[in-house]
Amino acid sequence: MYQYNEVDQALVDQRVEQFRDQTRRFLAGELPEDEFLALRLMNGLYVQRHAPMLRVAGPYGMYNSEQLRKLAHIARTYDRGYGHFTTRTNIQFNWPELAQVPDILAELASVQMHAIQTSGNCIRNTTTDQFAGVIADEIEDPRPYCEIIRQWSSLHPEFAYLPRKFKIAISAGPNDRAATQVHDIGLHIVRNDAGEVGFEVLVGGGLGRTPVIGQQIRPFLQKEDLLSYLEAIIRVYNLNGRRDNKYKARIKILVQAMGIDAFRELVDAEWEQIRDTDLKLPLSEIERVKAFFKPFDYDTSAAADTSLEQHLAEDNDFRVWFERNTVEHKVPGYRITYVCLKPYLKPAGDITAEQLDLVADLADRYSFGEVRATHNQNLVLADVKQSELYAVWQILAANNLARPNIGTLTDMTVCPGGDFCALANAKTLGIADQINMKFENMDYVHDLGEIKLNMSGCINACSHHHVGHIGILGVDKKGEDWYQITLGGDDGSEAALGKVIGKSVAADDVADTLEKVLQVYVDQRIEGERFIDTFRRIGIEPFKEHVYAVAN
Amino acid sequence: MPLLINNEVVADNWTLIDAETLDQSGDVIVPLALYLEHRAQFDARESGVALQLNGDDDLSSILSEVDQFPLIAIDFPAFRDGRGFSIARLLKRQGYRGQLRATGDFGRDQLDHLARCGFDAFQLKDEKFSPDVFKSFGEVSVRYQGAADDAKPVYLQ
Ligand code: SF4
Repeated sequence: MYQYNEVDQALVDQRVEQFRDQTRRFLAGELPEDEFLALRLMNGLYVQRHAPMLRVAGPYGMYNSEQLRKLAHIARTYDRGYGHFTTRTNIQFNWPELAQVPDILAELASVQMHAIQTSGNCIRNTTTDQFAGVIADEIEDPRPYCEIIRQWSSLHPEFAYLPRKFKIAISAGPNDRAATQVHDIGLHIVRNDAGEVGFEVLVGGGLGRTPVIGQQIRPFLQKEDLLSYLEAIIRVYNLNGRRDNKYKARIKILVQAMGIDAFRELVDAEWEQIRDTDLKLPLSEIERVKAFFKPFDYDTSAAADTSLEQHLAEDNDFRVWFERNTVEHKVPGYRITYVCLKPYLKPAGDITAEQLDLVADLADRYSFGEVRATHNQNLVLADVKQSELYAVWQILAANNLARPNIGTLTDMTVCPGGDFCALANAKTLGIADQINMKFENMDYVHDLGEIKLNMSGCINACSHHHVGHIGILGVDKKGEDWYQITLGGDDGSEAALGKVIGKSVAADDVADTLEKVLQVYVDQRIEGERFIDTFRRIGIEPFKEHVYAVAN
Repeated sequence: MPLLINNEVVADNWTLIDAETLDQSGDVIVPLALYLEHRAQFDARESGVALQLNGDDDLSSILSEVDQFPLIAIDFPAFRDGRGFSIARLLKRQGYRGQLRATGDFGRDQLDHLARCGFDAFQLKDEKFSPDVFKSFGEVSVRYQGAADDAKPVYLQ
């Protein structure tokens, strides 16, 4: 993965000292609250229900073992012994002291980490495919471009006070694992008819109060034009995006209001002015960054291993885990291996300091010292030799990190909700427990197959409930928690927004309602059909009828 | 309100006018709409005439003529309203070489970004000024991306 040079290091070091001084001035009453608010947000610091919350950047999901150990240390020293991985592949700490945050940032900087632009109305962490570089179907590794965008957008002097937050995602093959269609800008690495590799560019996607699927603004963009084109889009947005209403300030609203064609015209006019300037990305710079993401020295004899077959035949639990929680690697003899952060009755994405240390050790021993975070709040050891999978599984299982539920109903994406988040309308963690208890039977869950369940505690949609195959949204009804259920959403290549199934249900009824929904699927599915396929074929009516008929 | 130029507080001989104070003598800063309305009158003045722009203005009406003004002030209606940063870049790209002044609700912690976008004068509100504000220029010395101060990104420097 990318390694800082002196310049990169100087930037994060100086940023720490700058923030230290800002915090000092705020605490001394020299810096007005509203200014500090904007400044601290740009450094990942929120004030939550109980305490500040610090969001640390995991650039495009990449972490190394040294960084994980540092995060474990921070969790122990400054927090309550755990952290929480988010849907943007960052990690949050929920209990730091404001006065200690500069020290935490200094600790992070010592391992080439930071919290820059993890929040606030600026360009956020670029996200990508958790299988980047190790999956056979990709056209090119997207991570070098993520890093190039990271550097270009870091402390960009013009784009620090945009109308609203701005998120970019990149996918690199036919299967979109980065939810690019629901980002402010989605980039698809594609090959054109001439065989050149470049980007298809989407703009104006996003979730939140007004969920929108992004639209294509450019079918093919040359690599060298990447930064000039991004700069053109964001300049047009900065000048024209709404600032009178924060719920209408995202770029999606601007694109909708203008229409994609008029918006494209403005962008192209701006782009003409800047595309042949120093913003043109030299091939040499692309090559320099690519060198950090070269394939590892894989063991060419790894595929000769026969022990995996034997373990699969002998140990049923291992086989179940292998089938659900590992994925084919592009190099024979290796597997992409999930570290599951969706254990039974624990908050999704939470990880203890001990588990962080343990994953760091596993990475060092079995996966070239690197770990990735996924946008569904799990971790991935991307390069495990098949001969070592059994050992890895045993260690994961002994530490509650091997629940074989990846991609299934209980691999839920859940925001912290009313227990932690000041904006929440309803709690989410208790509902997740309720669903876990109802669907504890793994055979049943495996029989249901691939299902994405996303639950958000309010309309801000941090857990992307609109694009869950099943979405659950917490709403407040006269002070009580109620839940609205949507079906049919998807954030993959066939992105779609879920449809509301009917009136919201009481907290106690959520899991029972899901059971009815799933019953319709089980009754109606045809051979090999996933939940989402059945939904697309039969529509929402049969689900509606069954859920509400029985309820009445 | 102290005016910061070149790392010091300097005297300011410009006065911002509005429709009520049209006849103010001396060097004046005129909001764009007012200027366009009374253009002939302003162009005939002997003393200095500067423009004030803000994010709601339609810049296309004036962009090609900006070089005739010795000073352009860009107003920040709120700390978090960042349109002025982009307006400054458009003016600099147009070749504007006069004084580019930030006015309104910006703060010390934005000075460096403002300078990078092409501002060279900063009219800070009294309560936002303290002698140590100058320290904020270059607080982070690393510049990954090009801007108005230096068009070259880090890998071309
Ligand atoms: S969706 Fe709402 S409740 Fe959940 S984390 Fe986001 S703002 Fe908080």
